[in-house]
Amino acid sequence: MKKVDRRDFLKRSSAVGLGALILGMSKDLVANNRIDNTPLGWNTPMHSMAPKRLSDLTHRLAKTALSGEHGRSMVHADWTFKERDDRSLSNNTRYALAAMSIAQNAPLRIDSGEIIVGSATLLEASMNNVPLAGLPSTSHTTLGYQNVLPIGYIGLRKKIESRLKQEDLDDKGKDLLKSMLILLDAAQVWNNRNIAYLEQKMASASGDEKIFIQNTISTLKQVPENPPSNFREAVQSLWSMYAFQRLMGIYSGIGRIDEMLGAYLKQDLKKGNISLSEAREILAHFWIKGCEWIGNTDSKGSGDAQFYQNIILGGIDANGKEVTNEVTYLVLDIIEELHISDFPTAVRVNRNTPDKLLRRIAEVQRLGGGIVSIYDETGIIESLVKFGYPIEEARSFTNDGCWEVMIPGKTKFWYTPSDSLVLLHSVLGLREPVQTLEYPDFESLYAAYIKKLEENIADVNRGIDNVYQGDDHPLAAMFVEGCIEKGRGFDNKGPKYNVMAIHYGGFSDTANSLLVMKKLIYEQKYLTLSEFTQILKDDWKGNEPLRKLIQNRFEFYGNDNNESDAMLQRVFNDYTEIVSRVKERNGIYRPAGISTFGRELEWLPQRKASPSGNKSDAVLATNFSPSPGTDKKGPTAVLKSYCKMDFTRVPNGAPVELKILPNSVKGDNGIEALMGLTKTFIKLGGFYLNIDVIDSATLIDAQLHPEKYPNLPVRIAGWSARFTTLNKQWQDMIINRTQQIV
Amino acid sequence: MESEVNDIKGVVFDIQRFSTHDGPGIRTTVFLKGCPLACSWCHNPESQSAHYELFFNKKICIDCGSCNKTCPFGNAREILQDSELRKEKCGSCLLCANVCPANAIEKVGKIYTSDEIVSEIEKDLPFYENSNGGITISGGEPLLQYDFTIDILKKVKRKNIHTTIDTSGFASKEKFLEVAPYVDLFLWDIKITDENLHKKYTGAPLNPIIENLKVVDLYGTKTILSLILIPEVNMNDQHYKAIANIYSDLINVQGIRLLPYHEYGNSKNERLGIMNHDSYSEPTDKEMSDACKAIQKINNQIKILQ
Ligand code: SF4
Ligand code: SF4
Repeated sequence: MKKVDRRDFLKRSSAVGLGALILGMSKDLVANNRIDNTPLGWNTPMHSMAPKRLSDLTHRLAKTALSGEHGRSMVHADWTFKERDDRSLSNNTRYALAAMSIAQNAPLRIDSGEIIVGSATLLEASMNNVPLAGLPSTSHTTLGYQNVLPIGYIGLRKKIESRLKQEDLDDKGKDLLKSMLILLDAAQVWNNRNIAYLEQKMASASGDEKIFIQNTISTLKQVPENPPSNFREAVQSLWSMYAFQRLMGIYSGIGRIDEMLGAYLKQDLKKGNISLSEAREILAHFWIKGCEWIGNTDSKGSGDAQFYQNIILGGIDANGKEVTNEVTYLVLDIIEELHISDFPTAVRVNRNTPDKLLRRIAEVQRLGGGIVSIYDETGIIESLVKFGYPIEEARSFTNDGCWEVMIPGKTKFWYTPSDSLVLLHSVLGLREPVQTLEYPDFESLYAAYIKKLEENIADVNRGIDNVYQGDDHPLAAMFVEGCIEKGRGFDNKGPKYNVMAIHYGGFSDTANSLLVMKKLIYEQKYLTLSEFTQILKDDWKGNEPLRKLIQNRFEFYGNDNNESDAMLQRVFNDYTEIVSRVKERNGIYRPAGISTFGRELEWLPQRKASPSGNKSDAVLATNFSPSPGTDKKGPTAVLKSYCKMDFTRVPNGAPVELKILPNSVKGDNGIEALMGLTKTFIKLGGFYLNIDVIDSATLIDAQLHPEKYPNLPVRIAGWSARFTTLNKQWQDMIINRTQQIV
Repeated sequence: MESEVNDIKGVVFDIQRFSTHDGPGIRTTVFLKGCPLACSWCHNPESQSAHYELFFNKKICIDCGSCNKTCPFGNAREILQDSELRKEKCGSCLLCANVCPANAIEKVGKIYTSDEIVSEIEKDLPFYENSNGGITISGGEPLLQYDFTIDILKKVKRKNIHTTIDTSGFASKEKFLEVAPYVDLFLWDIKITDENLHKKYTGAPLNPIIENLKVVDLYGTKTILSLILIPEVNMNDQHYKAIANIYSDLINVQGIRLLPYHEYGNSKNERLGIMNHDSYSEPTDKEMSDACKAIQKINNQIKILQ
């Protein structure tokens, strides 16, 4: 990690000139910012098949941000603030004063030509820590931007002040709310510094450049303090609020951006104050800002830039009205054109979703990268209502940072990941000696597995009982319903909903393994259980023919085969039933979810050989997808198998990933085919679908020649990452999966 | 053909779901074995014979020896690697394929009843409905197993599913007229437009293929012409002109699709033990787009489909 001297950085950042863009654009200035001076290796278009609607300057800014240039020049917060060790102050006060010091001292960066401004420039923050305070920050939630944006900080301040005036707040509560007021002051200090910085710039500018800066300044003078009065202010306000959270190391999702911004755009369009292409440029700059942390650290193996900044589009609002509006389409335009995967985006669809939207989704999906996913919202809303949420809240669901469903602005969310497959290995005595391996029939073996699962889930539940007695995270807390009202912090059960979802992964392979044992041992009596477990203990050594027979003669989950799907259904139903027994305890909700999130790698050392024909070192199924190489009948069969499950039983979700070859979705018919997959997914009732259009030849070439593919996003397991930033193990896993596409 | 027999059987070598190149939307393509033509560039050489065959894919063999143990001649792998030995010795008892754990020896061709095919097809019904897709019967030549094909078509049509036949065009006129009412679209292969060359390369006369096309067209069924393009064989203006003439005589033609020759068939030939098969060069992208332009230059009314 390169350490940059802060003064040096400040000097450099103030040397940045200002260009002009669409809002008061000067031809000369744009010419000076031609694409030629893009970072090394970036002289190709963002995507060879994407249309070009945005300006050259916007493309240049995007390439610069994606190249990691900004991330690499981030700095440590290397100063101290005097209250840091003052133990007479409360934790929350010191947190707020740290924020104030950061607001006063963090380097500023406003790039030439940026319409949306404000940068979280501290390295600690980008690593999910609170700078200066030396504490971990928080993540895995979508904060309540939709509540604060329309009222501005001014409205939030009023809310906090009036709560403080009420008599019933205890000392803890008062302390928390007072720290929130300091934080609002800090946010204002930071905003004012950005204004002053721009004013300084303006002094030496002239003509269009001056107008451009003036526009930015007047926007910042209005927001985020006040309610936005137009689209540009709304986008800037959302970014300013978000960026200030980021400056304190908070990773949050954004949530339903089209619902939040749609009305502002509609009003501006009606008044004729803005054109759609201007609005697209403004929103594109929001997307570019979201890339400025890329390159902050060396890749962690699983790819760069995982900051959980999820976006949700479309779907019905709290009153049941469709949200989809012009902003929805602009977002898809931007993703299509800039191919930015750093805001993982999911569209909520239902049976009434217009074809026009489904078509746009298909067009973006086809360019690859798996950036845009699909929620079939009808079943999800039903599952949330079944879980106990009021219908209006259920309808407003978003996600936490991957795809786990939650209610934005009201929720403290986290989850516990476990592996269901190792439990089967334990039952079979592969991991530690077992008392008995005497299972006279399949039912008794199955019962032993379910008992093991029950015990494991009970352990997980006990572990959950005492969580959420931690830091208040006052900055996050003031964006979450319940915290101000109760006077309790984010990790102290302040939020309206405190959720610790229970997640297990590995079910596809567990069910396949159970099927093999049922058939071979109990029905065909091909061999005995103890003979079979011995083969597994030997990791199939000397038994390659049997292993191959199993792989080739069984139709496993994912092939629309009723028998194998029924086995998974059975495990799925039992698992979800067990988790649903403890819906809530100690004020903590525990919805069930199914996931691996790439842990299929992390879990490898604990896993043993599996009855489904896998050696102990095989990387197995991701999330709720079929095991790699077992889905031999293509994507329609996978979706049929997947949709046989009743997803109203998993309120936290169970996603499926499809990898599709570019060749099979070529031409106009390719769009029809992609739309057909999505529509059928909705019709059959799925949960979450990610389609990644990719071929292994491209990935292998990218592994050999990374310089040719600076921005090749691939879907991992709930997020997309640039392929070249994955380490070899992760790259190989993705290539291997891609080679299995039929 | 009046009475309907329910369990008409046919030999099928593949059923491909999510097929997106054999007609509109998402389709299930059923590949029937047996073809009256014998094009040496065929990308599905296993489709030519109407009988079972064995594929032997040496690359995935794990050397377990089971096939040799079970083979009456004791050397299954050796036999299968050589088309002459296959003819001489192999009794097609299939024992080797049954025991091979790795699917390195694989039986090509499976008997299905038409009902079984229909139930396979029905599995993706919602996908067809949501993409304006349906089913395609391909081959081989579907009309070589005429009873089987028409039975499937009738049953599928009753369920209102869009039907496509991918045909070589080589069968009797009567058969084409009888299936036409149950077919929404024909993908009509035209390989070569010179009578003599056609005979030389495919083993069959050209004339009936074109006559059948006109008959089907007159009947009112939609067609798309499929042109396989092979640089050494048919990528020339003379061919394109002849195609343009055929095209302009048709009333219900929807367009032309250009299919570049692919060496893909070679590896399948090897699995059939056929080592000395003809090979051709694959057209480049540029050659393909030149062909497209050349055809449109002759007649710009011709619609070239992607
Ligand atoms: S089909 Fe029978 S005879 Fe032919 S190679 Fe196989 S086992 Fe031997
Ligand atoms: S049975 Fe199959 S895997 Fe075994 S030696 Fe024969 S061809 Fe190879």
